[in-house]
Amino acid sequence: MSSDDDNTISVDNLVKSYGSGKNAVDGISFHVKRGDIYGFLGKNGAGKTTTIRVLTTLVPPTSGTVNVLGMDVVHRATQIRKHIGVVAQHESYDFATIERNMKIYGMLWQVPSEVLSARIEELIELFDLERVRKHRAFEVSGGEKKKLQVAREFLHEMDLLFLDEPTVGMDPIMRRRVLDYVKKKSREGLSVFFTTHILEEADYICDRISIIDQGKILAEGTTQFLKDNFGQLKTLEVEVSGTGPFTEKELRENIMGLENSRDLSVRENKITIVGKNMDRTLENLILYLNRIGLRAERINLRESSLDDVFLEVVSK
Amino acid sequence: MIRTPAFIRLTVRNLFVNTDPGTLVFLLGLPALYLLILGTMFVSLISGVSIGTSNISYTLFVAPGIIAIQTFTAGNIGGGMLWSDRRWGMFEQLMTGPFRRTDYLLGIMFLGVILSLGGSLIMIALSYYVTGTFIMTISNTGLVLLTIILATILFSSIFLILSVLVRTMQAYQTITIFLFFVLDFASTAFYPVDSRTPLPLRVFSDINPLSFVSNVLRSAVVGNVTSGTIFYLEVIIALTFIFFFIAVILYRRIKPGT
Repeated sequence: MSSDDDNTISVDNLVKSYGSGKNAVDGISFHVKRGDIYGFLGKNGAGKTTTIRVLTTLVPPTSGTVNVLGMDVVHRATQIRKHIGVVAQHESYDFATIERNMKIYGMLWQVPSEVLSARIEELIELFDLERVRKHRAFEVSGGEKKKLQVAREFLHEMDLLFLDEPTVGMDPIMRRRVLDYVKKKSREGLSVFFTTHILEEADYICDRISIIDQGKILAEGTTQFLKDNFGQLKTLEVEVSGTGPFTEKELRENIMGLENSRDLSVRENKITIVGKNMDRTLENLILYLNRIGLRAERINLRESSLDDVFLEVVSK
Repeated sequence: MIRTPAFIRLTVRNLFVNTDPGTLVFLLGLPALYLLILGTMFVSLISGVSIGTSNISYTLFVAPGIIAIQTFTAGNIGGGMLWSDRRWGMFEQLMTGPFRRTDYLLGIMFLGVILSLGGSLIMIALSYYVTGTFIMTISNTGLVLLTIILATILFSSIFLILSVLVRTMQAYQTITIFLFFVLDFASTAFYPVDSRTPLPLRVFSDINPLSFVSNVLRSAVVGNVTSGTIFYLEVIIALTFIFFFIAVILYRRIKPGT
C-alpha cells in the first residue's frame, strides 16, 4: 500500500450525479485514518451507497478528488481493487455450495491453497456456517447468505474493507460476533468503512462517524463528540418513594422547565423525562417532590444515544 | 508467488460454477441423446445423405450438427454467465475485486470455448462409437477447431447481448428457449435441407448461423471442403466479428449494480 499520508480514504468535494438533476452526493469531504473504523450513517437514499460505489471504483465521481489507499479512484482503479474488500448491501453468491463459494472466492483472490483450507475452516466456524456448508448458497436464509458474504471477504488480505449494512438478517449473537471480529481486524491494522441502519452497531464499533443526508455530510466526529455536540436530549429517570399525588399534568404545572421537555411519562412510582437542560429539571423535580412529602429513591440520567444524535441532526 | 492472470482465474471460476450436474446434463446429456436417439432411429429411415460427392450415413450426417449445437449450448452457458452474475450480484462483486472488465469478458469467452471443445470431443468419441467412423485429417481438424471456436464466440456474443438487454428471468428464459428451438431445429444441424423443405423454413435455414456452422463442420468431417464451405466460413467469421463487436459495446455500457 502506498499512501502519501496517514489516511486510507481522502475525499474532497465529492459530487456524484446520475444526470437526473439532483446530486446523489453533493460536495462531501472526509478522511479515514489508517486502522480506523469509519461509520457512514444516513437515511435510505441519503447517498451512502453511492459514496461506497465511488470509493470502490464501481462508478467514477462527477467531480472532486477521491483517493483510496493513496491512489486516485479514477486513474488507479485496478490497483485499488487489489487492496480492498467489499461486502455489498445486496446479496451476491455463486451457484454453488457455501463451502465451494468460499473456495472459489479464495481462488479468485489467489489465496495460497495451504492457507485457504485452514482459513475456510476458521471462518466457517466463526460465522457458524458449519450446518449449511454443503448447502447451495441460494437455498440458505438471507442471514446466512450475508454471513457468507462477510466471511469470504476475510479469506484474502486487504488494507481496507467496505461493509455496507453487513449484519442485515443476522441474529444479535452473530451480529455481535461479526462486529467483534471486525474490531479485532481493525486493531491489527485493517481500515473499515462501515454503513448501517442499526445505530448501536455504529456506536459500538466506529471510531469516527459521519451523518449524511440528501448527499451532504451534516455532522462528523467521534461518537462522543457527536453526542456532546448534537445529542442535546437526555433521559432522566427518577424512582420516587411511594406513589404520591403526581400526574403528568401536575408535574408539568409545578415544575419549571418541564414545558419544554420532549417527552414525559409517569408509570407507578417512576417518572421519565426526555429533554434538554436536565440538570435544572432534576433540581426542580427534587424540590417539588420534597414539597409534596416525597423523595427521589433512585435517579438515572442517561446521555443521548447515537439514535438521538441521528434524529437530531437529520431532522434539523 | 506466481500470479495467475486474472482472466484465467475467472475462467476457472466459471468452470467451477458450471460443472454442476444440471449444467453438465444440459451441455453433454442432451446432445448425446440427440446423437444416440436421432442417429440410431433416423438411420433406418434415411438411407444416406449426399454431401458433395460423398454419400454418408445419417448418423455421420447428424454428428457434426450435434457438434454445432454444442457450440450454441456452450455459448448459451458462457454468455448467460453475465446474466446470472448480474442477477445474483456477482458481477458487481467481481468488479470491486482484482479484475478488469476485459478479464471478465475473456473469462466468459474462454468458458464457452472450453465447454464447446470439451463437449465436441465427447460427441466425436460418441459418434465414433455409434458410426465406427469419423473422418479426421490434420487439415480438416484445423478447420473443425477454427469453426468450433468462432461459432462459440459468435453464440457467446449473442447471449452476452441478451444478458445486457434482458433483465427479468422470465424474459431471458423465454428468449433463450425460443432461440434454442428455432435455431436448432430450423437449421441443417439435424436434417438435410433441400427442395422438399417448405420454402419459409428453407429460407430461414439458409440464413441461420447454426446452418453455416453445421455445414462447415460437416464438410470438414467428411473431407469435402469446397468453395461453398469457405464461403460459409467467411460468413461465420463476419457474423462473429459483428456480434462480438456489438456485445463488447453493450457490455462496456453496463453499470454494475443496474
